[in-house]
Amino acid sequence: MHLLAVLALVCLGACEENDVGRTAASGVVTIYSTTDREVFEPVITDFSRLHPEIRLNYVELDAQPLFERFLHEADRKLPGADIMLSSAIDLQVKLVNDGYALKHETVNSAALPPWAKWRDEIFGLTFEPVVMVANSAQFAGRDIPRTRFDLVQSLRSDPGFWQGRIGTYDIASSSVGYFLAAQDARQSSEFGTLLGAMGDSQVRTYQNVSALLDELEAGKVALGYNVLGSYAKRRVKLGSRLRIIYPDDYTLAVVRAAFIARTSRNPAAAHVFLDYLMSVRGQQILATRSDLAAVREEVGGPYGRIGERGASVGPLRPIPIGPGLLTYLDRQKRERFLANWQTAIADHRREPRAGVESVATASRANR
Amino acid sequence: MQWPEWNSIRGRLLWHLGIVFACGLVALYLAATSYARLAADRSFDRLLLGSAGSIAETVSVTPGEIRVDIPYAALDMLSAAPDDKVFYRVIGTDGNTVTGYADLPNDPATQSRSRTAEPTHYFDSRYRGDGVRFVMMGREVRTSGHSGWIWVQVGQTLEARDAFTRDMTIRALAPILALTVLAVLVSWATVSRAVRPIEAIGRNLESRSASDLSPITSPVPDEIAPMVRAVNEFMSRLENNIGVLRTFIATAAHQLRTPLTALLVQIRSAETSSAAARGKSLSAASQSANRLARLVDQLLSDAMVAHRAEERCAIEFDLKKVIEQSLQETLPISHEADIRFTTNLSQAPMVGDDVMVAEAIKNLLHNALRHGGSADPDNNSIELILQERNDGLELAISDSGCGMTEVELADVGERFKIGSSGRGGAGLGLAIVVQVAKSHRGTLSLANRDGGGLRVTLWFPSP
Repeated sequence: MHLLAVLALVCLGACEENDVGRTAASGVVTIYSTTDREVFEPVITDFSRLHPEIRLNYVELDAQPLFERFLHEADRKLPGADIMLSSAIDLQVKLVNDGYALKHETVNSAALPPWAKWRDEIFGLTFEPVVMVANSAQFAGRDIPRTRFDLVQSLRSDPGFWQGRIGTYDIASSSVGYFLAAQDARQSSEFGTLLGAMGDSQVRTYQNVSALLDELEAGKVALGYNVLGSYAKRRVKLGSRLRIIYPDDYTLAVVRAAFIARTSRNPAAAHVFLDYLMSVRGQQILATRSDLAAVREEVGGPYGRIGERGASVGPLRPIPIGPGLLTYLDRQKRERFLANWQTAIADHRREPRAGVESVATASRANR
Repeated sequence: MQWPEWNSIRGRLLWHLGIVFACGLVALYLAATSYARLAADRSFDRLLLGSAGSIAETVSVTPGEIRVDIPYAALDMLSAAPDDKVFYRVIGTDGNTVTGYADLPNDPATQSRSRTAEPTHYFDSRYRGDGVRFVMMGREVRTSGHSGWIWVQVGQTLEARDAFTRDMTIRALAPILALTVLAVLVSWATVSRAVRPIEAIGRNLESRSASDLSPITSPVPDEIAPMVRAVNEFMSRLENNIGVLRTFIATAAHQLRTPLTALLVQIRSAETSSAAARGKSLSAASQSANRLARLVDQLLSDAMVAHRAEERCAIEFDLKKVIEQSLQETLPISHEADIRFTTNLSQAPMVGDDVMVAEAIKNLLHNALRHGGSADPDNNSIELILQERNDGLELAISDSGCGMTEVELADVGERFKIGSSGRGGAGLGLAIVVQVAKSHRGTLSLANRDGGGLRVTLWFPSP
């Protein structure tokens, strides 16, 4: 009943904007998303049951190509996305800042926590911790590091074990990886040191998280750094012997953020779907069937929502959606950050011992 | 504009209060909005300045390039305005964008005044459909390859400023609005309280019988007290007047009855008496009838003067002419007397009611003729002197009669007080003159002359 009322409101709001004067939302809604379709399938199914008149067209892409395709289509007024859904929220914020989003103000959007929305245009729908994933079998008696400091210590003290056995995103090719690394650089003054130590250990880099998890499962890699928690949890659920570590020093939490494109051909239906995603029903399905933690506080507490007891998770630091995220998208900033990253990793790969200090210095200067 | 005609104090008060408060509210709204806008700009400009400053700090110039390392805080601090979009860029010495949004609007001032422009200034513009406030912060650099100004431009949309302005304005206006409502309520209540005594007086007067002219004693506010006092005085005058009128009617009836009775007796005696005695009776009856006629004349004259005094019709006339005319009209009964009118004035202009003044003069002449006669026919003269005196006109009429006693002088002007001489008259003549003098703001004075006789002085002030 509550949901129906909200939907009615949304319809009304949408109809005002839509000069076609549609009385009920219907038609096709195209969603550009970085999330695997199978993860999203439960909400798509449920929504289609609720709104058979709205057909969802789910397009799955990596964050950077998604961003570029959206811009290409929006600037040329080509038919494209009605809803943009991505975990590279820096790119999402940039699109909103540049005026590509429509406002969406409903009871449900008001119920989201303040850090999970901006301008009533972009909304964090799910949030997930950024974790370390260990293949316990590989450690064979060694302590599994619980903090970044532990990790640096371990990398330094046991270089033989770690050679080629730590993996993370290739931040040059993965927008999400770049975003997470940038947030790490901002959160921790030790990031340069960690980067140096990982470089020393011949860190392996991956374009997406699935490839990293595959190699973890295969035992080629012992520990993955900066892995999106939901992917790891799904593997564990499917029977992998992987261990998820929420770093005790701090655990970043990132949202998957969505907005309605200003260029949407069917904003009325897009409003209905977006509102469904942030409704209690939609959030519950995301939380229980897709293993994505709900942002709405009605759907479990912050730790409950990521499926862990508070004690086993370090201080959770959600990355708020806001204009600060534009910083690392700055052309010069990005070039420099990538250059430093490459230098750190490449230098240390070539010369495992010598360059630790210089990388630390370089990446500190970067901040 | 047609202003409403208010018959209600309450309505008038509310209308005026309403106008004053409405004007005040409009003025305050404008003042509050502009002040709030100023305050909003001041505080949010500081954010922009801080942001631009922290970006400018990271600018480094090498011969090959201009390097900028945007600090996270530079953009994050702007989220103090939580929902505002943020735009920035750094412009190199050649005018090209080093990093940031290349298509941000240029500040015309930077172009034209680049040499002398303020290193830091603000301007408003539009970008991508939003109103945006920008700060420009300039750094002058002189190194090989780069010489000139590097500008850091940071802008923010206006949502937070608008919200701040709205909020401040509402906060400023809310108490004033509350005060307005309070003032209206209080004045409504006050007026209701204030008019309650008036309503009480109204009820009091309504419930009285026509003959009840006793003063209003219920307590009233100071502002209404003069009115109540006036009403009370008016009622007491009215009571007096009614008293006087009753006495007058009684006395006049009595005065009329005496000659009438005498007349009837004389006529009856004439009817029954012998032919010889009839002549005597008829002559007596004729005298009585004359006296009666004179009395009726005087009563009419008195009524006429009283009426005209009420009317207060004032025209400009020549007193000298009026005196001469009155002498003419009195001539038939003054054939025996020696009347002299002297004046040194060629004209005696005054403002008033010439008919009343003529009536007064004729009455004085009658009195002088009637009572001013002397036993000595050689010394039987009446003298009229008109002259200017005391900023007015003075007519003195002197006769050579026996004058008046002190008691009579004191009673002058009272109706039906008849002199001791008892030579007829109803005692209305001088009362009429006093009435005329009074209604012209003049005076009448009587004094016995040293050589015998009465001197009556009538004085009218100059217009």
